[in-house]
Amino acid sequence: MSANVNVNLLTPEFILAGMGLLVLSLDLVLPKARRGILPWIGVAGLIAAVATALIYRWDRVEELYGGVFIADRYSLFFFAFLVILGGAVMIASVDYVKQHIKFPGEYYGILIFSILGMVLMASAGELLTAYIAMELLSFSLYVLVALRKYDSKSNESAAKYILLGAFSSAIMLYGISMVWGVTGTTFYDGIAAHLTANPDLDIGLIVGLSLIVAGLGFKVAAVPFHMWAPDVYEGAPTPVTAYLAIGSKAAAFALILRLFSEGLLPAIEDWRVLIATLAAATMVLGNLVAIRQENIKRMLAYSSIGQVGYLLLGVASLGVVDAGGAVVFSERASTGIMVHLVGYAVANLAAFLVVAVVYSRTGSDQISDYRGLAKKSPYLSLVLSVALFSLAGLPFFAGFVTKFYLFTAGAEAGFLWLSGLAMVASLVSLYYYLRVIQRAYVDQPSEGDEETAVERSTFFVPLTSWLMLGVLFVGMILIGVWPTELAAAADSASDALGTVRDVSTALVR
Amino acid sequence: MSAIVFYVLAVITVIGALGVVLDRNVVRATLSLLIAMLGVAGIFLVAYAEFLALAQILIYAGAVTIVILFAIMLTRTTDLNINLDNPQRPVAFLIAVGVFVLLTLTFIYSDVPQLAEPDSVAVAIAESNSTGFETVGDSLFNQWAIPFEIASVILLVAMVGAIALARGDDNEPAVDASVEINEVSA
Repeated sequence: MSANVNVNLLTPEFILAGMGLLVLSLDLVLPKARRGILPWIGVAGLIAAVATALIYRWDRVEELYGGVFIADRYSLFFFAFLVILGGAVMIASVDYVKQHIKFPGEYYGILIFSILGMVLMASAGELLTAYIAMELLSFSLYVLVALRKYDSKSNESAAKYILLGAFSSAIMLYGISMVWGVTGTTFYDGIAAHLTANPDLDIGLIVGLSLIVAGLGFKVAAVPFHMWAPDVYEGAPTPVTAYLAIGSKAAAFALILRLFSEGLLPAIEDWRVLIATLAAATMVLGNLVAIRQENIKRMLAYSSIGQVGYLLLGVASLGVVDAGGAVVFSERASTGIMVHLVGYAVANLAAFLVVAVVYSRTGSDQISDYRGLAKKSPYLSLVLSVALFSLAGLPFFAGFVTKFYLFTAGAEAGFLWLSGLAMVASLVSLYYYLRVIQRAYVDQPSEGDEETAVERSTFFVPLTSWLMLGVLFVGMILIGVWPTELAAAADSASDALGTVRDVSTALVR
Repeated sequence: MSAIVFYVLAVITVIGALGVVLDRNVVRATLSLLIAMLGVAGIFLVAYAEFLALAQILIYAGAVTIVILFAIMLTRTTDLNINLDNPQRPVAFLIAVGVFVLLTLTFIYSDVPQLAEPDSVAVAIAESNSTGFETVGDSLFNQWAIPFEIASVILLVAMVGAIALARGDDNEPAVDASVEINEVSA
């Protein structure tokens, strides 16, 4: 029965798993002084995995085990995006790990395993596989958040994250079991077929899907499931915070996008208002509470909650009902989500990397301590400003273009009010981003003020972080002025979601 | 007949589960968990899932309970007398009751095909004269090979992470970084 399964299709995933093992075991044999090469071995492995995937799967549309694993343009887009993202986080961690983390081997090895979990979330065509891939990501993140084990804040945030993470996973699993009970399948296409055949939703299905949405809502920190995020973001090691804010969210949205467009699209009339409400609450609350934050990591946590609101606006707009009453998949919305995820990831990683560098110099994450940053390090404050402008969505930076794609799709799907609200929320976000920039550039110490932590410290940006910031800076400008290539890639990924796959090579399940 | 056995086992399971959450003594709660696990194993047997019943007894009732007892034994410095309640207790109670009612209503009014004709499924399994082992092995290593492999990676991550977090260090905790770095860069 399994003789004709094309296991070669999984080569890029095998490379990732093998690299994780390799880094873990090299850590045991390398002398302490040589462990600095571990991240670079890891990055080389990630590049190999992306190259293999791009070459081997470029034009391949295939399913393994009847749709448990799907290889198509959509999976490929997220494979490349998530692995590159993970590699960028890895390079961004190099300086931080050297100073603050005692287990480099475990840190990088588990980081690679979490990347494996992320890419599998995007290619899973079935709820259980998606769930267990998400657990791989979550377990890795629990460990990474806790790795500064002598820091009581890190301990606190790890404890909160593990408890709430396990709780939300259980909620989602319970929802999956109810969906299976009613539809008899966990495959996305099977669920879609059931929804098409039974337009009146069974109560078990409604409750099950609500539980799944709640579980996923916890993972992406959508209001009202967001309470854990600021505490966890504040206490986690800063590169891990960046990874939480971009990697785990991007992967969760990769899962959500495939689940909602391939599985739940026929019932869009039943959930689009619910998701739109979540989106509205998330963008309003995230951006309003961010104004009051004094700690920059907490501020970025609330701002990333706001960004989740924009992305949920895209999810709510995934389908439009045409004149004949049939549901049509909106490629524009899914392209918008993917493009915005990329732009958001680049800008957010840049912002968090600046925060990490400043923290290693000063030991402080307080916004008030950023006074004088422009004088001490013009480079850092320039990159920080561009990153924050991009997150706010100012023209010429990545955020403007990607928000434009997303909000237009929302307006087209009939959510004009929500797109308007999103624009107002973006304006609000500009206010608290500008506060940080004002601190860095404008504020002068008045008579009798104590020196801020930044003013007291000697500044020196380590080479790796300097180069990484440069790459992210160029990325933000490039996406901002020339987004066509990215949009084209996202378009072809959306195509893959919108079409029924040719499954001639698949196993009969 | 099997209905009577099921209800007896179900009552045992629920009593065990209630013991886990209601008993304030951690060791007694763990032993209640053992009862609940054994009850579930019995329910698996009634459902003709011999392999699951066996795994349930060996792994959950056996290994997991022992590990929990070991963890309690090794970590507990004093008895856990601290107050674990907080003012939100009534709210939590209301929400829990609400969820319970909602889920119960869902199961009453929901149309679950598998529940409608449970006997036919059981009879089919019984007639196939399978012990369940082949079925479980076949689906684990064929249909569900990918999630099965991912689960093993999860276990690896959990193990490596637990050791990294729990092991002692040769030297004292890292000095706060800001001091260290300023010296380097100066």
